Amino acid sequence: MASAGQANPGLSRTVDEWQAEADAHEQAGRLEEAEQILAQILAAMPDYAPALHQAALLSHRRKRPAEALARLERAIRAAPDQPIFHRNICELYRGQSQLDAAVAHGRRAVELAPDDAGANYNLGVIHYDRMEIDAAIAYARRALALDPAMAPAHFELAEALLLDGQFAEGWREYEWRFSLPNSARLLPHADKPQWDGAPMPGGTLLLIGDQGFGDTIQFCRYIPQVARLCPNLIMACSSEMQPIVLQQGGITGYFDRWEHVPAFDAYCPLSGLPRLFGTDLGSIPAPVPYVRAEPAKVARWRARLAELVPGGFRAVGLAWAGRPTHGNDFNRSMSLQALAPLGRLERTALVSLQIGPAMAQVAEYYGPAPLINLGAEIADFTDTMAILEVLDHVVAVDTSIVHLAGAMGRPVCVLLPFAPDWRWLRDRGDSPWYPSLELFRQPASAAWAEPVARVAERLSGLIQGGRAAD
Amino acid sequence: MNALQPDLCACGSGLRPVRCCQLDPRTLGPAAASRHLLPLVDQAIASHGRGAVAEAERLCLEVLELAPGQGGALAILYQIRKAQGAGPAAEALVRRLVGLDPNNVWATQELALLLFGKGDLAEAEVHARNAVRIAPADPQSHNLMGMILTEANRPQVGEFHYRRALELLGQRQPILLANLAWNLKNQGKMAQARALYEESLAAAPTVLQTLLGWARMEETDRDFARADALLDQAEAVAPGHPSILLHRAIVRGRTKDYDRALAILERIERQSPGGGLGTNELLEKGRLLDKMGRHDEAFAAFAAGKRKNVELSGTAYMAEHAADLAARLKAYFTAGRLRIVPRAKPVEAGPRPIFILGFPRSGTTMVEQTLSAHPKVCAGDELTFVHEIANLMPRMLNSPLAYPEALADLWMGDQCEGLDNLRDYYLQRVRQLGIVEPGATRFTDKMPLNETHMGLIALMFPDAPLIHVLRHPLDIVLSVYSNHLTHGFYCANALETIARHYLLVMDLVDHYRREMALKYLAVRYEDIVDDQEAHVRRMLAFADLPFDKRCLKFHENKRYARTASYAQVTEKLYDGSRYRYRHYLKHLAPVIPMLEPAIARLGYSVDG
Repeated sequence: MASAGQANPGLSRTVDEWQAEADAHEQAGRLEEAEQILAQILAAMPDYAPALHQAALLSHRRKRPAEALARLERAIRAAPDQPIFHRNICELYRGQSQLDAAVAHGRRAVELAPDDAGANYNLGVIHYDRMEIDAAIAYARRALALDPAMAPAHFELAEALLLDGQFAEGWREYEWRFSLPNSARLLPHADKPQWDGAPMPGGTLLLIGDQGFGDTIQFCRYIPQVARLCPNLIMACSSEMQPIVLQQGGITGYFDRWEHVPAFDAYCPLSGLPRLFGTDLGSIPAPVPYVRAEPAKVARWRARLAELVPGGFRAVGLAWAGRPTHGNDFNRSMSLQALAPLGRLERTALVSLQIGPAMAQVAEYYGPAPLINLGAEIADFTDTMAILEVLDHVVAVDTSIVHLAGAMGRPVCVLLPFAPDWRWLRDRGDSPWYPSLELFRQPASAAWAEPVARVAERLSGLIQGGRAAD
Repeated sequence: MNALQPDLCACGSGLRPVRCCQLDPRTLGPAAASRHLLPLVDQAIASHGRGAVAEAERLCLEVLELAPGQGGALAILYQIRKAQGAGPAAEALVRRLVGLDPNNVWATQELALLLFGKGDLAEAEVHARNAVRIAPADPQSHNLMGMILTEANRPQVGEFHYRRALELLGQRQPILLANLAWNLKNQGKMAQARALYEESLAAAPTVLQTLLGWARMEETDRDFARADALLDQAEAVAPGHPSILLHRAIVRGRTKDYDRALAILERIERQSPGGGLGTNELLEKGRLLDKMGRHDEAFAAFAAGKRKNVELSGTAYMAEHAADLAARLKAYFTAGRLRIVPRAKPVEAGPRPIFILGFPRSGTTMVEQTLSAHPKVCAGDELTFVHEIANLMPRMLNSPLAYPEALADLWMGDQCEGLDNLRDYYLQRVRQLGIVEPGATRFTDKMPLNETHMGLIALMFPDAPLIHVLRHPLDIVLSVYSNHLTHGFYCANALETIARHYLLVMDLVDHYRREMALKYLAVRYEDIVDDQEAHVRRMLAFADLPFDKRCLKFHENKRYARTASYAQVTEKLYDGSRYRYRHYLKHLAPVIPMLEPAIARLGYSVDG
């Protein structure tokens, strides 16, 4: 690298100094300035691996995945044995759902740096994405052997074990979720003990809705059990969940702001309850329906749907995208366009329950079946519940709607990514958590066509069966 | 008086501007103040009466210079200018007469007629209605209402006034009978129309307009031989008249004798004193050339027709108006606001509407003919009531704001059922039209571009099916360009403005679909051509109607659709109507880049 002394002979800075300046710009969020400097370095020294690597990471931040991959591939050609390059490109390929390339580089990174916990952890994550669960568990364990306090590896191990149905160890490892680098703090003050599951006849227990809406809906089924042990049970959770959570008997106070929460003696995250109650694959409590819609709202939405759905048509609800800020959203969400086969169902009205930015896709739908953008009229979960009560069927990706319909015992075809969230388990078409769900899984990463076709076939069978019975 | 003197009014009246268009009415004295001029006025009337026009004109100008509001002189001068074909002067003078005396029946009727002749139906209607108000027993007031409303596509109202005129006249006046016949033809009541034409012609055998109207009626009713025979009769009345030739060309075109049709048009062109054809003739020529596969020449004829139309009418696309309305509609109709806007209650009794939406020339007429072939469905054709309601809304909701902002008054305690009132107004107007036949439970409204008001429609009729007819955007642009249309803020005169208005409307449709739960179904015209039964079944099911195989034979639907599409819809579906743009790619090139995203999004492509 003797020739790498200066990026531009006319200037007297070293490449290292230029790179440092680019880095400073990037740290400060001035991505364009950083890019300009790196582009100049690369113009002078197109094969300079450290600059290529830095530029690739910048491209990634600038949401230019193809450019990031091309730069990092060039860096690897220039310096094939840099483990960090392989570790990073492995993550980039994973982000692009190119899991074969990702696993190859992940393996190479581990070969080059077998004692790097991060490389082992990354490889484990890719094995999870490839549904090679045994390997995912093995690499997560190796990462933990090298770095026992590595929270992401614990969490990865938890997800793999739970997906595999190994609940006991899975729940223990799952407790590491609060130590993840980006996890929100559970409590503003942690001077109270976490509940151990023992009866608290006198003291006050605070339950905390700690995860997303789906988790809250899924785990609020445990609340009556908790209330039997702790009669003074209060709950802190978002206001949206109130009408669902309060249907579970035994809560004496519900608070959606920390400053309103009264004194308590112990706390427990809602998502910790399966562990405390020792839930195993064979003992999942499913007291379905444990969520019900308000009759007045049902009447209102029944009338509204009667206006919008042509007479004699089935109403099939749709939700194809989750909250875009969810870390795994690119994996679990799809486009409305991918549901096109449902548009060919006979005597069926598709009722979009989609909210958020993905709702706009409704305007691009021109399929044969009418599509009703009911999401535009949904104000809160009490509306969604009432609509779910009225719809004949629902097709949805892994979002809170699936949990809500499941908790209500309403029929749903759930479209799952190849490597789903742990709660959907593996190799099965049903869910022990929600008996009314049918699971349709991708056969490979990003391959929605096959499960969508199977859902269309399933619904078309139902419709024909339904008609024959009319 | 041909060369205008520089100190005279620009309208061509012959008066000085301060005595004419720049007259300040406040400076006029009372009528009695000019009584000493009455002998001059009487002289002018007498001169005009015996044909001494120059003398009469001189006297009128003299009187009006001294007393610019003198009614008798204004009336004589108006008649002179009208006879000279001095349109702007005649209009200025008769407007002054009406302005000075709003109860002047004759002047009000003259003004309505003049505006009708200019094609300004909206203002003509205002004055015709005044004529009925001030002279309800005058047959001419009702005749004018009949003529204007027939042309404004409200023939049922027009029929009412023609019949009233006949009743008041107490005799079967032949011109009035022919007018009523034309009205009935526009309602598809061919047998009644024919009988009236026969009666009219028996009483007055040599009226050219009667013969031409009847010929047109027979052509519409597909009796081409009879149309030809009537045109022969017209030829005897007015040999070589260009209108006869044009009608002849249209008949030849409809019998697919394109060569002869074209030859006739070329003859009109040669004979025309000014040289060249009018807008309608040029567009007809273009359509003939298109059918003959002579695409470059066809396009040239369309372009010439549109140029002519711009020259004569001076109309231009009202781009700012359109953009302003679209922006305000988008700002008002948002999901967040609509969650707290009350909806009208569903229609409980009586026939309910099916809205057929689409850009002009996208196949809405065919879809209406298809649906109205169903025994439960009546065709409403292009109903103007959604527009009417948009205009009346501030008054009906007692709001100081315009549509759509006036909908904010639905939040008032005394207006919260305002949408029910608007809906009832619409339904009552439909009842008045008498279009709904016994046994029918639905009627269609296929006003083109009603999709612009899809939000309002969905608020008034939350359960009404909205069937949006789609067609390849390039075919739409081409077809609008090859026809004379005033819809869509006068966008039809140039390819670029047609494309712009199309995109504006489609963007609004997208907006409504994103922000509202609509009972909306998109149907592609091309798909109906491709697999008619499947898509007819789809539309009927969507509109909650049982399948009826008569809908597949919509071309046998005897109903006559008044719009430019009628000749196509009385023919069976044929493939040549799809993707005609492919012959005109180079002509359409300027608008293809604009339309490409919309083309792709609708699932079409641009193929050579």
